[in-house]
Amino acid sequence: MKNYDTFSTCHPLLNFGFFVIVMMMTMCFMHPAYLIISFTAAFIYSVYLNGRRGLRFNFLIALPMMILAALFNPLLVHKGATILAYFPTGNPLTLESIIYGIASAMMFVSVILWFSCYNRIMTSDKFIYLFGRLIPSVSLVFSMVLRFVPKFKTQAAVVANGQKCIGRDMAKGDRKQRLRNGLRMLSILTTWALENGIETADSMRSRGYGLRGRTSFSIFFFDTRDKILAVVMVLALLITFVPIAAGAVHIVYYPLVMMNGSTAAAVLNYISFGILCYMPLLLDLTEDVKWRVLKSKI
Amino acid sequence: MACFEIKDLSFSYPGRDRAALDHVNLTVEQGEFVVLCGKSGCGKSTLMRHLKPVLAPHGEKSGRILFYGTDIGEVDFRAQSSQIGYVLQNPDNQIVTDKVWHELSFGLESLGADNETIRLRVAEMASYFGIQTWFQRDVSGLSGGQKQLLNLASIMAMQPLVLLLDEPTSQLDPIAASDFLETIRKINREVGTTIIITEHRLEDVFPYADRVVVMEKGRVIANDTPRVVGRDLKDKHNEMFYALPSPMRIYAGVDNDLECPLTVREGRAWISRLMDGVDIGEREIVDGKTFDDSDPVVEMKEVWFRYEKEGADIVKGLTVKIPKNKIFCIVGGNGTGKSTTMKLLTGILRPYRGKIKIWGRDIRKYKNNELFDHNMAMLPQNPQSLFVKSTVKDELLEMLSAAKLTKEEREAKAMEIAALVDIEDLLDQHPYDISGGEQQRAALAKVLLTEPKILLLDEPTKGLDNYFKFRLASILKDLNQKGVSVIMVSHDIEFCASYGDSCSMFFDGDIVITDTPNKFFSGNSFYTTSANRLSRHLFLNAVNNEDVISLCKRNLTTK
Repeated sequence: MKNYDTFSTCHPLLNFGFFVIVMMMTMCFMHPAYLIISFTAAFIYSVYLNGRRGLRFNFLIALPMMILAALFNPLLVHKGATILAYFPTGNPLTLESIIYGIASAMMFVSVILWFSCYNRIMTSDKFIYLFGRLIPSVSLVFSMVLRFVPKFKTQAAVVANGQKCIGRDMAKGDRKQRLRNGLRMLSILTTWALENGIETADSMRSRGYGLRGRTSFSIFFFDTRDKILAVVMVLALLITFVPIAAGAVHIVYYPLVMMNGSTAAAVLNYISFGILCYMPLLLDLTEDVKWRVLKSKI
Repeated sequence: MACFEIKDLSFSYPGRDRAALDHVNLTVEQGEFVVLCGKSGCGKSTLMRHLKPVLAPHGEKSGRILFYGTDIGEVDFRAQSSQIGYVLQNPDNQIVTDKVWHELSFGLESLGADNETIRLRVAEMASYFGIQTWFQRDVSGLSGGQKQLLNLASIMAMQPLVLLLDEPTSQLDPIAASDFLETIRKINREVGTTIIITEHRLEDVFPYADRVVVMEKGRVIANDTPRVVGRDLKDKHNEMFYALPSPMRIYAGVDNDLECPLTVREGRAWISRLMDGVDIGEREIVDGKTFDDSDPVVEMKEVWFRYEKEGADIVKGLTVKIPKNKIFCIVGGNGTGKSTTMKLLTGILRPYRGKIKIWGRDIRKYKNNELFDHNMAMLPQNPQSLFVKSTVKDELLEMLSAAKLTKEEREAKAMEIAALVDIEDLLDQHPYDISGGEQQRAALAKVLLTEPKILLLDEPTKGLDNYFKFRLASILKDLNQKGVSVIMVSHDIEFCASYGDSCSMFFDGDIVITDTPNKFFSGNSFYTTSANRLSRHLFLNAVNNEDVISLCKRNLTTK
């Protein structure tokens, strides 16, 4: 079951900005509080977006990856002051390397989880819209590529099946034969693409492509809700950054783990980062509640 | 003022002796609906392209074309981009971008319209063409009909004065095709856009036309209202006569001096008047054929198939026996599982339940290429997927590369097949340079060279003109004689009714009924031939044009 997501209906600039900020923050400050907030938010949001498939991915791929990454650090890195034991090779196993391993694994997997959300939210048209502003011709090329790739893949399957049905199975034969078949397939598809490309070019020219002063149309609007969200995001970002800049939030892993205490400034910083990370989920939650209330009134 | 005035236009492609256009004179008035028809290669596409200078082919040209009084060479790029809309044949290749909304706005972006204007025009077009529901979608998920509608809408967004359409429905199934033509007619009637359209399936478009222009070998041989042109073609015994709608052909087959009908409705009125006062003694065609599946070549037993575990079943408990040395036709709507069934028969897809037997042997027991070694072969819907060489001749020779033959024998064999499907003139051309119908024939030649015993055809009549359909039918009948069983999936009801040995109706993943064409179509009232719909209130089972004509004649002579 996939849930309806409100955040994806926001302006692409907000979508993109959100992911950039959250991922950068997660990667740059490997602070435990940050990691826990970012990891949980990414985990819940990815499950919310992708449903059962997301859950399966998180547990079967992301979590094992995290455990593996956490194990690797103490095996390879022997820095740190607190020695717990010695490996048969004589290298020390340190507490700091274990903690750093866990932290970096969490960082790593959080970013992967954020990316799985990113893929659902930032569809190609949003990306094109954002970057097409900078270089309009690139945005058209990008859009054409996105049109071409699925078309090419479909045609590849059609050709393979067509050839098979006249007794020219491309997947059969020894390695040399298969290589030859593969090259032949590539040549067929290249011819096909070039020949049909002529018609696409005709279609573009007949609709005036190449005239001076081409504009770029989009279907996105920056509405009031987007403005409010943008303000919230900027504020949350500021409240997060000020304590960091002032030195209220910091961490070092080697040689000893040393981090800031739970001062008011630090807690404020955590909360604002939390609001930032959980913003899409909070948005969805308020929307869900709103609908529940609206429905109950009917 | 005339929209287009073509004055003594001649044109020949470089390196060809024969002129593609030979002193063409034609005037198209503002707001007219003109149908341009003719056999493939008659020059109709060349003429169309001359009307849109950016698409005009290179070659030797003489004569003039005036667009609203100005020489078309002097109409600037901006003006012709917006004022002359051009829809091409292939729905897929014309789409440039990946999103429906982006495609709709493409032309207006080129013209440099601002965001507000584009929004309004796009909204207008989406509403007019009923695109709102798939406005945000990716184009790759659309059906052929939807794609062609999108192409039309994206051109109409530029508000053209004239719309040129070059065989826009040849890649569509009949239902999508008539929807598309209906939309064209609506544009013509409600917006007043001038329409010039080339078509080879005239059934739907003929009644809409104000004027029909027939071309042959680069010349205009007829130019008048549909009724007059129909009579003209009949009197001249022109091949194009067989492309005319059924009511017109039936009318021409019977001696009478009533007015010529264009549509089924008019045809019904016509036949009622014709038979008025006649005592109809003979109401039935007796063909003596029965459907017999006791000696099957292919057997499917309770076959179930779906693409994904969680997905819906596409083929549901299909049980069928396909008789030997016959033409077995499968008809039915889009998405009912016909093409999937073909893939099951070729082993490309495997059923998750049920059995498929070829020559009495389980399909899973055929190893490697055994199934396709002088046994089974399929002509796919897209003939281009079979082409691997750079000339048609090499394509044919390539099929014989594994056979133990001398070079001369191979050549002779290739030539024989080329003659059979009428592509001898095209042997030195690149397979992509020939027209859609010619590609279909070249692909058929390739398939026939594998000497199959079971021939599967997926929409074999798509893009073929009526003249070659006759040829195809006789090739298939001939193959039957030589011990080849033909299984075809088709939307072409008229073809199946005339030449099939049996017809099966595919619906919701299963075959609902199988019978001889005569019994099959006379039992249906919507899914049947025009001839049957036209005559069913008088005759019991007249399915083909010839049936209706012969019954009319017999009843009239007994008077």
